[in-house]
Amino acid sequence: MAAILKLFGILKKYIQGADQIMVPANITVRQAITTLHIPPEIVALVVVNGNQQSKEYIIQNDDEIKLLAIMGGGR
Amino acid sequence: MNGYGGSVLRVNLSTGQIQKQPTPQDVARDFLGGRGFGIYFLTKEVPPKADPFGQENKMIISSGPFSGLMIPGAGKCDWTTKSPLTGGYASASLGGHFTAELKYAGLDSIILEGISPKPVYLFIDDNQVELRDASHLWGKGSITVEKELKEQYGEEYQIATIGPAGENGVLFAHINHDYGRQAGRGGVGAVLGTKKVKAIVLHGTKSIPVADLPAYRQAGINLFKACKDAEILKEWQSYGTTMVVSWCDEVGALPTRNFTAGSFEDGKNLYGPVMRKTIVVSDKGCFACPSPCGKYSHTRRYNTYVEGPEYETIGMLGSDLGLGNIEDVAQANLLCDDLGIDTISTGGVIAWAMECFERGIFTKKDTDGLELKFGNAQAVFALIEKIARKDGFGALLAEGVKRASQKTGQGSEKFAIHVKGMEQSAYATHNATAMLLAYMTCDVGAHHNRAWAITYDIQVGREKVTTEKVARVIWLQNFRPMFDVLGACRLQWVELSIDRDLYLPALQAITGIPRSWKDLETVGERIWNLTRLYWIREIDGFGREWDLPAPRFYEDAPKTGATAGQITRFEDVQKLLDYYYEQRGWSKNGIPTPETIARLNLEQFVY
Ligand code: SF4
Repeated sequence: MAAILKLFGILKKYIQGADQIMVPANITVRQAITTLHIPPEIVALVVVNGNQQSKEYIIQNDDEIKLLAIMGGGR
Repeated sequence: MNGYGGSVLRVNLSTGQIQKQPTPQDVARDFLGGRGFGIYFLTKEVPPKADPFGQENKMIISSGPFSGLMIPGAGKCDWTTKSPLTGGYASASLGGHFTAELKYAGLDSIILEGISPKPVYLFIDDNQVELRDASHLWGKGSITVEKELKEQYGEEYQIATIGPAGENGVLFAHINHDYGRQAGRGGVGAVLGTKKVKAIVLHGTKSIPVADLPAYRQAGINLFKACKDAEILKEWQSYGTTMVVSWCDEVGALPTRNFTAGSFEDGKNLYGPVMRKTIVVSDKGCFACPSPCGKYSHTRRYNTYVEGPEYETIGMLGSDLGLGNIEDVAQANLLCDDLGIDTISTGGVIAWAMECFERGIFTKKDTDGLELKFGNAQAVFALIEKIARKDGFGALLAEGVKRASQKTGQGSEKFAIHVKGMEQSAYATHNATAMLLAYMTCDVGAHHNRAWAITYDIQVGREKVTTEKVARVIWLQNFRPMFDVLGACRLQWVELSIDRDLYLPALQAITGIPRSWKDLETVGERIWNLTRLYWIREIDGFGREWDLPAPRFYEDAPKTGATAGQITRFEDVQKLLDYYYEQRGWSKNGIPTPETIARLNLEQFVY
């Protein structure tokens, strides 16, 4: 029972520069973020299987979850 | 001149005289275009202390060297004038398809002078330029007028118009185009209205000269490819700016009930996905946009269509008024668009009136019988109409929150949320010091788009007051407005995070002149300082006091939401200004020093 978590932008540094990581199902996105030591407030957008969801979304088996950091320019 | 239409069109509305002049090369070098041209012409041509509604004020509409070319979102133009709302500098950016036609008609700027004796619209079709009678359009809503003019002339004609609010001189009246894009802030629509110009109808067919065609094509392709490859493109296109509603609610930046809090208990009903699911019909973009953020919506409750609402409108006409239904917000948005008032200022002034009502400063006797409680959508709709028509209680609010609160007194000035007389846009800044400073020092009043620093606050620690934070705000203020100068959208850089260096080869290929970002940031800094000199020239005693934020952000900590109990201390507000003035090369009173003026070649503008 697991899902794929894909991280973008500045969030990649929290998984040592990798693009994605497996996370267990049946926890919330917020819990998954916290276990990775990512401050939840820098995650602007949670997209699960193509739809924006809240951080309280409960991760389901085989979900594909994208986490996007707040932007605001700067590159 | 490569990259330019080549001419400035001057229309004297008092005499009907129409003239074209070559676009001055040295001005193009030092100020590039768009907002740069705007402040240059405003400072040079409008005499000091001119009445914003008088003969001497001018409306200056300018494109930039990117406008009308294949650069992402290259459909932006700038509307500069002396603001009737603030008494200082006004500059509003307009997207859509208007600017491209301006360039194709061979024009870089249109300067409207004087006051027409009767309602007119300006008709431009390549070299044909005429003032035409608009008496049959006067009094009509923006959307109706655009529709009528499109039916008369054809879809290929682009139209900018004012609504009844502009005609009536509502101090935050806007200009509407493409059924829902605006030059929104500072009362640009009211200036057009007092000049008796109802609309501009525009069409052109000329090519824009480009220095190196193959290099321009390649640079353009590279820019579009970067947008297409952006990680966030799909989500951005699905939700547009409403993507950030949930994040702002979560971090306490969503203005709620006249900025008494930064999180809204019904906020989740206003989030991007809810809006997408319930009301959005299709995406809508500006000229040459690879990432359309506009959302065209239909409300079932009112059976109406509207472009939007986008984030600012959701914040100011939604949560800030206690409205938690996206259909109500969309309907309020439509009323503002058609009647011709800026949604941000309208939300700000109604939120202030609602707080007055809930505190007992206003009763139903004052409000023409309206039960002006937070959350009352019907009262909001009625009040929007009253403001636009300056009817009864609406006439007070039509003056903006600063004047309305000064007239009302009873402590209501303390919760009038504005800087320099402009209502603050939709970021609550109780505990976000970079964003607070961005509002305090913004060159038109409390507007976010010069330095959207809220994300930086969250990344580096929101309560921190450091020289690095201040430097970031200044860098954003110098750099971001370059998009308004070049005549292209900034959101591909801001939101899609495309590499800004991709723009430089395009600029060089188009104009034939190599320029670095350092060089362009100096142009940005020159423009920033010139706008500051303009405020100093127009307002006796202008200085530090004018950069202070609404007391709410240093006195009233929110009681609920993510920022409950959090507030910026007044000494930190002062410290932010100290750091800011020092880094800008300004005196302790916020006046550019002679050295700064000399360094930026601005001596000719000092009186
Ligand atoms: S991102 Fe939005 S504002 Fe910018 S060009 Fe595209 S549609 Fe217009």
